[in-house]
Amino acid sequence: MKGKVGIGLRRDIANEIIDSEPIRPDFIEFAPENWMGIGGYWNRIREKAVSKYPVTCHGLSLSLGSPEELDWDFVSELKAFLDENQVQIYSEHLSYTKSKNAHLYDLLPIPFRKDAVDHVSERIMRVQEALGRRIAIENVSYYTPVAAEMSETDFICSIVEKSDCRLLLDVNNVYVNAFNHGYDARSFIDNMPLDRVEYIHMAGHEKVEKDLIIDTHGRPIIDPVYDLFEYTIDRMEPVPVLLERDYNFEDLESISAELDHLRDLIRKKWGVVHEAAQGNA
Amino acid sequence: MKLHKETRDIQHRLGDYCKTGREVSLPGVTEGRIKHYRRLVYNVVKNSMDQAYPIASSALGTVLWDELVNDFFSNHAPRSTQIWKLPHEFYEYHYSKNTATKLKRAWLNDLLWFEWAEIEVHTMPDRDVLPYNEEGDSLVDPLILNPEHEILQLEFPVHKQSLVDIESHRGEYYVLLYREPETGRVRFIDLSVLHAFILMKVNEEGIPLNEFKGEIASIASIESEKYLDDYLRDFMGNLMEKKMVLGFAVS
Repeated sequence: MKGKVGIGLRRDIANEIIDSEPIRPDFIEFAPENWMGIGGYWNRIREKAVSKYPVTCHGLSLSLGSPEELDWDFVSELKAFLDENQVQIYSEHLSYTKSKNAHLYDLLPIPFRKDAVDHVSERIMRVQEALGRRIAIENVSYYTPVAAEMSETDFICSIVEKSDCRLLLDVNNVYVNAFNHGYDARSFIDNMPLDRVEYIHMAGHEKVEKDLIIDTHGRPIIDPVYDLFEYTIDRMEPVPVLLERDYNFEDLESISAELDHLRDLIRKKWGVVHEAAQGNA
Repeated sequence: MKLHKETRDIQHRLGDYCKTGREVSLPGVTEGRIKHYRRLVYNVVKNSMDQAYPIASSALGTVLWDELVNDFFSNHAPRSTQIWKLPHEFYEYHYSKNTATKLKRAWLNDLLWFEWAEIEVHTMPDRDVLPYNEEGDSLVDPLILNPEHEILQLEFPVHKQSLVDIESHRGEYYVLLYREPETGRVRFIDLSVLHAFILMKVNEEGIPLNEFKGEIASIASIESEKYLDDYLRDFMGNLMEKKMVLGFAVS
């Protein structure tokens, strides 16, 4: 899948992806939590999609950054699901979604602190051991730091190093965070362990205040994010690239065009040929 | 535990704020930004409840419905890793808190249960089906039911009439929800007490109708055997057309 371009399998566009019309990804990604233990119509859709495309999974509920113990029953179910679907890459967010054992269903920022580095790294290692595979952790967008004692880059790099995991580099999140917190996005990229990147996410976002962007995955990717993407891939070896789009599916042609634009940039930088774009998926 | 108590407490305080919306003081945050976490988290939960319970939310109105969602999320610790299951926890929470009585909406428990059951039947894992023939005698051969179904016993007929004046119709109602095999759509059928008894008996015991025809006749006060046979064949024939009865067990 290196250098290939995928899209998130959302229910609104599942049939268009399965039919490769008008959306022709090289691979698909889905959140295990949205498809595990489901029967009926949507189970058949998942089976069709999995039989047609290579699959990556991007988790929502593992909550690597929670203070509480990991949910090992969930990890066990997850392992079975990843195996059943022959998932090639499994990633999770570097955040927490559970507090006092209550699921919150969104990504909260972990304090950038040394003890949190140790805590999260140990949890990643235990998860990797249980799943029998390395996982990739994603740099998340955040709207305020909380009780930080180190930089975001040091926090991410330390965890990747200490846990020996891989990195899912979300280029849009780098752009969003750089804007929201007033740092230089390219310097941030320069400080990432690019040799540990297994996967890239690209997405659109929404500016809700003059100094605040929210990472919505609901709009087209903007040019400055494409620029940052080019800057990034110029400095690393080919990896799979995913377009995240969670809603606003009215204009499927424009989403298809986004996939093609990503392919063009990849072809230019990495020289990868995309069969899907040529209608051979 | 490698995490220091101070860091753990900070994380918990942010989590509590997202659940309750009650103001919190946290170190090292950018002014005016924390509120977005509460908004984003709460919207995810609220949207999930709105989508799961379109009839209940509409019947209660925006303000009251929002109070119910807020009460649930503030005081309950969601257990499910899958948000589509959260509406079931909402139903359980308000059932246990006796919200229906407190609000003087006695029908609320039935309505939440009915709306949740539609999601559950639509989404439940595919269940194994015993081998069956499409030809057979519905009185003599054991019937194979569509396994993706539920029969609810309700106190109020929330599945078949508007909520206006529904409290004057308190009684014993049954509704069958099942998933169409081909389309995956959920259908529901209002059942009489007799029909509910027959289907539950077939489902639980897997025996032919002939083996408990006497009980059926007694419940329905039917004396003519021919009339009863025709009645049962019609009932099961109708359910076969609707794909609730799949066929006849292979002997």
